[in-house]
Amino acid sequence: MMAMLPENMNSKLSWDSVQSEFGSTESIFVAFGKKNENIFNQKAFSHLWELTNALQKIDEVEKVTSISSIPKIESADGFLEIIPLQPKSELSESQIDDIVKYLNDNSSIKKRSVSRNDNYFNVLVQPTDNIPHNILRDAVVQVGDSLLSKNYEIHYGGTAYITGSVPGMIKKDISMLLFIGLALMSIVLLFNIRNLFAVGMIFSIIIQSLLVMSGMMGWITHFTGSENFYFTIINSSMPIILLTIANSDGVHFVTKFFKEMRKTGDAHQSVSEAMDTLLIPIFLTSITTIAAFLALYFAPIKQLMGYGICLSIGILYAFILSLTFLPAALSLKKWELKSLAISRASFTENLMKAFGQVVVSKPKNILLIGFVTMLIGIAGLNKLVVDVNIANFFKEDTEFRNSIDFIDEQMTGTMDIRVRVEGNLKDPLALYEVEKIQTLLEKNSSVTTSFSIADALKQMHRILMDDDPEFDVIPEEKQKVSNLLLMYSMSGDYDDLSSMVDYNYNTGLITALSSVMSTDQIISFVKEIEYFVSKLKEVKNVSVTGMAVVIRDLIFLVIESSVLSISFSMLIICIITSLFFRSLTWGFLSIVPLAAAVLINFGFMGISGIYLSHVTALLSSVIIGVGVDFSIHYIYQYKRLSKEASSDKISKNVINEVGYPIILDSVSNMSFGALLFSSFIPVQYVGGLMVFAMFSTSFGTLTLLASIVHLLKKNKLIGSKIS
Amino acid sequence: MRGIFFFCLFSIIYSQSGLEIAKLLNERSMPISMSSKISMTLTNSKNKTRKSVMISKSTNRNKYQLIWVLEPKSDRGMSFLKKEHSDQNHEMRIWLPAFNKIRRINANRMSDSFMGSDLSYEDMTSRSLSENNYFRLEDEIIEGASYYVLKVIPKAEFRNSYGMHKIWVSKEHLYIVKENSFDKKNKLKKMKTFFYTKIENYFVVSKIFVNDIQKNHTTNLNIENIKVDSDIDSDLFQEKSLKRIPSY
Repeated sequence: MMAMLPENMNSKLSWDSVQSEFGSTESIFVAFGKKNENIFNQKAFSHLWELTNALQKIDEVEKVTSISSIPKIESADGFLEIIPLQPKSELSESQIDDIVKYLNDNSSIKKRSVSRNDNYFNVLVQPTDNIPHNILRDAVVQVGDSLLSKNYEIHYGGTAYITGSVPGMIKKDISMLLFIGLALMSIVLLFNIRNLFAVGMIFSIIIQSLLVMSGMMGWITHFTGSENFYFTIINSSMPIILLTIANSDGVHFVTKFFKEMRKTGDAHQSVSEAMDTLLIPIFLTSITTIAAFLALYFAPIKQLMGYGICLSIGILYAFILSLTFLPAALSLKKWELKSLAISRASFTENLMKAFGQVVVSKPKNILLIGFVTMLIGIAGLNKLVVDVNIANFFKEDTEFRNSIDFIDEQMTGTMDIRVRVEGNLKDPLALYEVEKIQTLLEKNSSVTTSFSIADALKQMHRILMDDDPEFDVIPEEKQKVSNLLLMYSMSGDYDDLSSMVDYNYNTGLITALSSVMSTDQIISFVKEIEYFVSKLKEVKNVSVTGMAVVIRDLIFLVIESSVLSISFSMLIICIITSLFFRSLTWGFLSIVPLAAAVLINFGFMGISGIYLSHVTALLSSVIIGVGVDFSIHYIYQYKRLSKEASSDKISKNVINEVGYPIILDSVSNMSFGALLFSSFIPVQYVGGLMVFAMFSTSFGTLTLLASIVHLLKKNKLIGSKIS
Repeated sequence: MRGIFFFCLFSIIYSQSGLEIAKLLNERSMPISMSSKISMTLTNSKNKTRKSVMISKSTNRNKYQLIWVLEPKSDRGMSFLKKEHSDQNHEMRIWLPAFNKIRRINANRMSDSFMGSDLSYEDMTSRSLSENNYFRLEDEIIEGASYYVLKVIPKAEFRNSYGMHKIWVSKEHLYIVKENSFDKKNKLKKMKTFFYTKIENYFVVSKIFVNDIQKNHTTNLNIENIKVDSDIDSDLFQEKSLKRIPSY
């Protein structure tokens, strides 16, 4: 998620500073215990000790924080002594009682170490710098499971666990569902085309294009080292988009070929006719789609640049194959003229002839229905909710979601807010302001705990003053703070405070841990924090970051990227088609079905409660990529056929000509409705929206565009000269 | 005459065991009392530094020592008293001026850091011959100078936070120039380098550099304004002296 944020974004800059100054804030929680059984027993402490030591030995682990590793500050003759809270693996009953007492006296430490009802221990694992979270996740889970699974329930959580698990899980899930989608697609194509060789050739184009796109992504990453070309969650829609576009080129060519074969019976002539008819529209659809995807270069989410470039390479390769490899293969094959594919038109092809008649006979009614549908879509836009929180990607009652919920309900929560402050953190006035920020953070009901150097100083102060609770406050003099810190440094490890304050006490970090918040809650909470810290005087350059803030920024980026990429794509498509058809009217008409489909899709998402995320937002790319193909094929054939038929018959003939491949393309792409069975909510949404997008773009072209063009022609408002 | 003396010394030294060399080290000529100004620079793994300036007074061959912090300003006045006893636990006291309190540092905590540095109280305390085993390793020549190399293993019955030390002793001057300390798992923990200056007839430490390999943290001590055998009264080494920074 961090890789998606632009380098100059404030939260990203703060995030980077926090990581470099205070170590990684992305961590994995390992919670273990038994429901309804107190965890404070000898065996559990021994297992905690063993787990902590085993985790510390993992190369990818920087620091492990648990009762077995945290220091205990106590007073020995008035001197601060920093000793291990758990001195050894095997503890006596009195040693356990001492630990429990210490935890009860220090609630912030207890909240981070033990579950709310004392049934589970919590271990916090921080990774070393720049370690891929999937590697860390696998190593931690392997250690946790091997040591604990026989005796305890284990729950994993934390941002590093989620980000380390999700890509692999999504990849596995999507790979399986994509395979099912491809199988369904082949059935749909076989049922309609009724020729295994032709369908095989379409698939061959799809697979070759996918290989070239993925391979180029690898080479570009290899040569540039740019993170923009990594395959992340945002890129998971790339194979589907390329599949639909490559499929479109192949389907148009193959259906035209069989149509001609039915007329001529000659493969070479049919290929030649298909080339004559489709060379320009396929070139045009490819060039506009490529331009639309290259427009992603300007999107604020920088990973979309790599997304657009690699997808464009795949589309270009599919275009080349559709007009070289496919015609060559079709012309080389010896065709059986009596075969079903050649001798008879398919059911869908015949259906489209009837459909054409309906459109031509009632264009105004169709237009009216189209406008009403669009109005409903526009109304739904207001209800569109943006949510990019990965925790919400999982259905309730799934194992993964249960673990996240467990960490949220029983532990400190999976989300974090980090406030970085600058100032003299040995000065009580600055420390009071740190305390005020913590008070504000803890007011929020989702925040479970917060901690900072102010807490550590209060604890030191109290312990130095003979554990008198009255001194559990920040000392009122600078020199007292300084004395405490120096005394701590004499007995404790300087790394103990390194997650809260820098080496020179000039920069501090306040950490608040919270359970999952809704998007609205995050936005208003971050706004409240930012307003509050802007009024502080002693601490300066206060910046707020953490997963909650990143999610907030990502929400705005997703909206901005969606709006920008859609607008750019439409504009570029409009310009290219206007130039090609030498008419601004035709340019506008080419984007009518796209605009309608985008509005209806996003409106439908709002009405049906499907949230806009960085995953679902990319569906607009599918709509544009495929939708523009449909409209260009329609317009090109309209202009071509207008030379041969009277104006009354043009629309019907065009629907006869392009309706079947458009519908076949669309229906075969609907096979990716298989994604509806995904374990991930956004992927399910992508599956559902894919079906909806295919329906809206194909029918948008064959109804809305067809009826507008028909009415404009009837009223002599457009010409039909072809360039 | 001088030739015969050196021949005899060479013969004796050549056949010396680790323990004998350690004895020679302990018996080498050292000032009874010493005062100095110490600048200490600590550098952490992120290359951030903390600087402090202290004055030190010691007597009884450094067995009694008082240190007062001058800088940074916020720590000025904090002071530290150490008294090593051969027949009882060592005494360590710290004065916290802001709290107006003197606190005793537990003698069991010898591995604790001195003022947040990479030197522990144990590192600052004289190493007792009876508490360690000394083994002589092969001598080394480094940059033209010859060194005895000793392996020092603390005896199990005495409290110690290290598993082993390896020390390089100058054959010419009989002082330690380098010491590598290993933890109880025998992993290298600290690398210490000592530099000396000759004052009157003594070679006294003028600079110490310590690198904690495991924590990637360093300590650089520069010892200046060294005065030796300047009649420091042993009565100075009492709690009450902690509260008053002497002139320097």
